Amino acid sequence: MIAIVCVDDKGGMTFNGRRQSQDRILRARLMEQFAPHSLWMNQYSAGQFEPSYAHRLHVSEDFLEQAGRGTVCFVENCPLHPYQNKLEKIVLFRWNRVYPADTWLDLSLDEEGWHLVNCQEFSGSSHKTITQEVYEK
Amino acid sequence: MTDQLTAGLMALVLSFSLLSGCSSSDAGSASTAHPAGVQPSFTFQSSYDLSSQSPDSPPSTQAEALPSPDFDTPVQLPQLPSYTGDAYIAVNGNIPYFDPTGLSSVSFEYYSPRDPLGRCGTAYACVGPDSLPTEERGSIGQVKPTGWHTVKYDCVDGKYLYNRCHLIGYQLTGENANEDNLITGTRSLNIDGMLPFENLVADYIKETGNHVVYRVTPIFEEDNLLANGVLMEGYSLEDEGAGICYCVYAYNAQPGVEIDYSTGESRASSPSCLQVSLQVQADSLEQKQIDYILNTNSKKFHIPTCSSVEQMNEQNKQAYTGSREDLIAQGYSPCGRCHP
Repeated sequence: MIAIVCVDDKGGMTFNGRRQSQDRILRARLMEQFAPHSLWMNQYSAGQFEPSYAHRLHVSEDFLEQAGRGTVCFVENCPLHPYQNKLEKIVLFRWNRVYPADTWLDLSLDEEGWHLVNCQEFSGSSHKTITQEVYEK
Repeated sequence: MTDQLTAGLMALVLSFSLLSGCSSSDAGSASTAHPAGVQPSFTFQSSYDLSSQSPDSPPSTQAEALPSPDFDTPVQLPQLPSYTGDAYIAVNGNIPYFDPTGLSSVSFEYYSPRDPLGRCGTAYACVGPDSLPTEERGSIGQVKPTGWHTVKYDCVDGKYLYNRCHLIGYQLTGENANEDNLITGTRSLNIDGMLPFENLVADYIKETGNHVVYRVTPIFEEDNLLANGVLMEGYSLEDEGAGICYCVYAYNAQPGVEIDYSTGESRASSPSCLQVSLQVQADSLEQKQIDYILNTNSKKFHIPTCSSVEQMNEQNKQAYTGSREDLIAQGYSPCGRCHP
């Protein structure tokens, strides 16, 4: 399973049940980088994707349970720790901002043996600089 | 830039009953039920009495009242726990006290006039794409809000204990040195308590083009000159709170520093936190015009010869001439490498 996660400077993911942020250029980048694969996610996450991407989304509330080897999962409001044994790769997008948070990424990348293998910066539609990091074990 | 509304309009805007909720099918696990109960009194303006609260009480997430609905009618926060290091806590189940019903997606700003002690009151706005600033913020160093002291501690990020805190952040409405919108706030209140919510709202508006009802109320105890904290409320209009919905109390406190809220005077409360001498402060204040290089992304400032400047992305690099104090007040932090 390949997990895609967006975090702020403190590893935050959501506050009061809502995503911290979103960016249409980031979504377009995801669809391009992972083509032709589908992106697996829950209904909440699917709500931010444009209708033109609908055919590339696999939407299920237990998508992390269903996901197998090579499945690309976009994770906004689910814990990942229970699925750590299934994780092959983590694609981390950093907003380079601090937002309020009450849920955070529940993986300690350094302590759990993840290694940064790629890092790129790009400008989003509403974010000056978004950093994309790829971690593998 | 939107026009400021009159107090009369403000009273009208706030005259809706407080029945707002944050329900939305796109809001994940956010509460969709509106809490109910009995709410004791609290004035928006400045006289919220914290003295009757038990500091050991746990935070309440239940609204205990639906107060009557005009600007002058008291609304009381639930009992607040004493500061334990968290910059903010959710109150009222993270549901704003105001009712957005009837508000149209038209930007406005309202700033309460200061009270006889010179203290700010509620700042209230509907923030949208047309209210966002189009130029960099100017100096606000000339403003001295109530409780202001220029004092430095070595345990405070950027050293200065106090910042001039915009109630409604500059990045939302472009209000620069409006004295009705600036309070004395600790570095922690400014950066850890308020800035995350300003970022949240600003980026949401930029991305969606939607409007957010945004209200910040400083909470003063009796005649204190320094606010104990601020109540911050936000709600996105077009998607009915699916994108933005919060109600939090942010503490005007600073780890390692004990504050007298009646005057704003302070002292170190931890052996590891030392106050920087007044002479050093005076020397620093005299250095008004210094060349710096800013990283507008990381919000760090550097001396021009700092090695970090060479590694900086050109699009984030900006030359600046001015005082260190102003940069810190604008939310910048000194580089840890060159120590400007």
